[in-house]
Amino acid sequence: MKKALNAIGNYFKNLGIAFAKGDVWVKLSSVVMGAGYFARKQIVNGVIMLLVEILFIVMCIGYAAPNLAKFGTLGTVQFEQVFDPLTMTSTVNDYDNSFLILLNSMISLFLILVFILFWIANMKTVYRLQLKKENGQHINNFREDVRSMFNEKFHITLLTLPVIGVILMNILPILVLVAVAFTNYDQQHMPPNSLFTWVGWTNFKNLFTNSVTVTFGYSFKKVLVWTLEWAVLATFTTYIGGILLAKFINDKKTKLPKMWRTLFIIAIAVPQFVTLLLVRNFFADNGIVNTFCTSIGLTDFLKSVGLVSSNLSYIPFLTSPGWAKVMIVIINIWVGIPYQMLIATGVLMNIPEDQIESARIDGASPLQIFVKITMPYMLFVTGPSLITDFVKNINNFNVIYLLTQDVYVTSDQLLANSNAKEIDLLVTWLFRLTNEYYNYKMASVIGIIVFIICAAFTLITFTRTIKGDKEEEFQ
Amino acid sequence: MKKKVLATLLATAMVAGSLAGCGSSSDTTATEDTAATEETTEEAAPAEEAEASTEESADAADPVANLIAATTDTVTLTVWASEEDQDLTTQLLEEFKAAYPDVTFDITLGAESESTAKDTILTDVEAAADVYAFADDQINELVQAGALQEVAATYTYDVATENAAGSVEAASVDGKLYAYPMTADNGYFMFYDSSVFTEDDVQSLEKMIEVAEAAGKKIAMDISNGWYLYAFFQGAGYGLSLNDDGVTNTCTWNAAGATDVAQAIIDLTASGVLVDMSDEDMATQIAEGTVVACVNGTWRAETAETAWGENYAATKLPTFNAGGTDYQMSSYSGYKLIGVNPHSANIGWAMLLAEYLTNEASQTVRFEARGLGPANTAAAASEAVQANPAISALAAQAAYATPQRVGGNFWSPAETLGQILASGNPDGTDLQTLLDTTVEGITAPVE
Repeated sequence: MKKALNAIGNYFKNLGIAFAKGDVWVKLSSVVMGAGYFARKQIVNGVIMLLVEILFIVMCIGYAAPNLAKFGTLGTVQFEQVFDPLTMTSTVNDYDNSFLILLNSMISLFLILVFILFWIANMKTVYRLQLKKENGQHINNFREDVRSMFNEKFHITLLTLPVIGVILMNILPILVLVAVAFTNYDQQHMPPNSLFTWVGWTNFKNLFTNSVTVTFGYSFKKVLVWTLEWAVLATFTTYIGGILLAKFINDKKTKLPKMWRTLFIIAIAVPQFVTLLLVRNFFADNGIVNTFCTSIGLTDFLKSVGLVSSNLSYIPFLTSPGWAKVMIVIINIWVGIPYQMLIATGVLMNIPEDQIESARIDGASPLQIFVKITMPYMLFVTGPSLITDFVKNINNFNVIYLLTQDVYVTSDQLLANSNAKEIDLLVTWLFRLTNEYYNYKMASVIGIIVFIICAAFTLITFTRTIKGDKEEEFQ
Repeated sequence: MKKKVLATLLATAMVAGSLAGCGSSSDTTATEDTAATEETTEEAAPAEEAEASTEESADAADPVANLIAATTDTVTLTVWASEEDQDLTTQLLEEFKAAYPDVTFDITLGAESESTAKDTILTDVEAAADVYAFADDQINELVQAGALQEVAATYTYDVATENAAGSVEAASVDGKLYAYPMTADNGYFMFYDSSVFTEDDVQSLEKMIEVAEAAGKKIAMDISNGWYLYAFFQGAGYGLSLNDDGVTNTCTWNAAGATDVAQAIIDLTASGVLVDMSDEDMATQIAEGTVVACVNGTWRAETAETAWGENYAATKLPTFNAGGTDYQMSSYSGYKLIGVNPHSANIGWAMLLAEYLTNEASQTVRFEARGLGPANTAAAASEAVQANPAISALAAQAAYATPQRVGGNFWSPAETLGQILASGNPDGTDLQTLLDTTVEGITAPVE
């Protein structure tokens, strides 16, 4: 933390020094970028800098200014259209599109920020050039500068494209979506026909308040609890299952280990959604499994035990909350274990044989070896991947959505009133809200909360597991 | 020295320029803003518009002729029709092109189901097709999102008079026509196996249950789906309607006496003969022979016809008894419509194409090719249409059907209510409380 603050401090200190001690050219560079380069006879660099500045000014006037001017309100001119039946054409007014204003403003702000950083860097470079000249050091000409981009500064050349990609594809869209959480962008305010505007923290407040009609808060709590339960269960079961399966297959007594392994890998080869949709049909209320259970009398047995309510003629595998939750976890074990088995096989093969050997000589039982040597080793190596798995499961859309969409109907009226279901994860709820109800603002709010949960969890566990000298400790 | 002078000059020029730029830019945006509201800029096709307006004085009487004369460039249009309608639409598009030989068209046909058109269109209205087919329940949201051009004028046939009154009502919002009716077969009614039920039996749901119970068979209805659950409550006179804002609902399903309807549904399903079943399950169970009657729509006609053969029959929905009174079950009438996107660059041509795709000839062809019931009264009067059991059942049900006008908050609470009632109210919640909570959800303000 202190380091970061120091770095920021130095960053601005250097800028200050450049201003204070720079000669007239350096100072002029703050207004006319490239001036410093011209003074040191770096004409091409100077022209490039100047061009960048001109481009920036043009961008500001032509693009950033008109958009940022409306950023505060996100537009005021409503869409209006007049159709002329005689000419069969329509005229449209010069309307504001709130979403485009938001998007363009974000891009403008981003470009302005980039320009400021660029400007600071320019000041420092120009000052450095001045120092070089004063000290009589060699100043690169343009060709030498270009060449250095392929030699000592090659990392910059290499990283430029990916960084631009990440910014365009990830950072800017995320910023726009975060901004949506503070607007009233929903079905009633959908561009281009209507405008939406800023509403501050209202959406966040709505999420956590539980009034009579708006059951959002109630649903959010329920959904969040199940999301965490699910993430823990799903991660833990597939992890342990995968290790046990790998152990069984790798055991010396197992015949044809390669065949077993291949069979499980074939299960991966079938696309997950195909498997899930098939399984959903198998376990439907009138599906094949239910027919089978009825004919062998299992349904009646479960009824007499009380696990199935007496007025049903089938086992509600995916249609009652309790059954559905258990089934989802079980089906997920089936779908997820092969992956974990592959990882575990790799790790198990790398356990130092001498440790196991010496343990065996000391008279340790197989169970003791598993608990005291294999598991700690596994946990140590796969710890980070376990954490990513957990986060992935928090957002495990496929399993939940494909298994329950169109099948599961909630009987909790309060949940139903906010479009949630007992088996919804935050992310499936979010999908339903946006896809079926166009409630973009609430979806964005939930998205932010999911991100915070995932980020906090990842940070905490990563720092705990990888911190310090764990490796030495283990050895 | 020279360079220094140059640089200083440049610098001052830049500073002046940027300052001037800032000053004037704020000025111009301000003026632009005010100008924008007063003056309407032509977005659609400025060139065409200008040409058209010059010719307007010459021959204002025939807009289509004007349009043809004004069209010099290739007319690019995108059309969305359902996957099953692709062949037929391709054929109709060719005929449309042939009808206007002086104009070059570039028409792209895309596949988009009528039932999900809204989802795709509302994602980005401006990028959606110029002409698209959709189910009438989506019309409110589409109009609200500005995705439908008002049918302010018709050119080749009179949409409002040539189509059935119900379909025109379904294509209108606030009395304004927004779409062109294409088919009138998207509602639901009763399919039955006439070897089990007589025509008298199917008049009342209680009688049907009695007969089916004796035969050891089932009657299927997707009760845990607001669309079908509506049949009971609306039938008994408890209202559900969309408010003027176009999103929230008014619902009286918890009014005095409504608990009788809820109790009736519990009683009807208690026997295990009337079963709450999804559409997919119905398909398999009809084929297996366990289900001998079901409430469903024309899309299941083929399944039923294959399974029951000669005994395949269809009729209006039966009556049901709630609190000692018999009520005729109501239903949602359903129509498929064709809409024109107001953001289309060739709005005139898009409207002509929409008219073409929905005129009498096209609707007749559509019935012949795909068995879809025409909304056009002349096409629907043909003998072939009259002889189709599913379509005539829909016509019989039409008297008790209403167009689907409901906001998004209806579905989830209604689905849950249906689920609870169909499973016999397992928690024993007081029926009034049950209905109150449902209505609370249905009428909830949209956040």
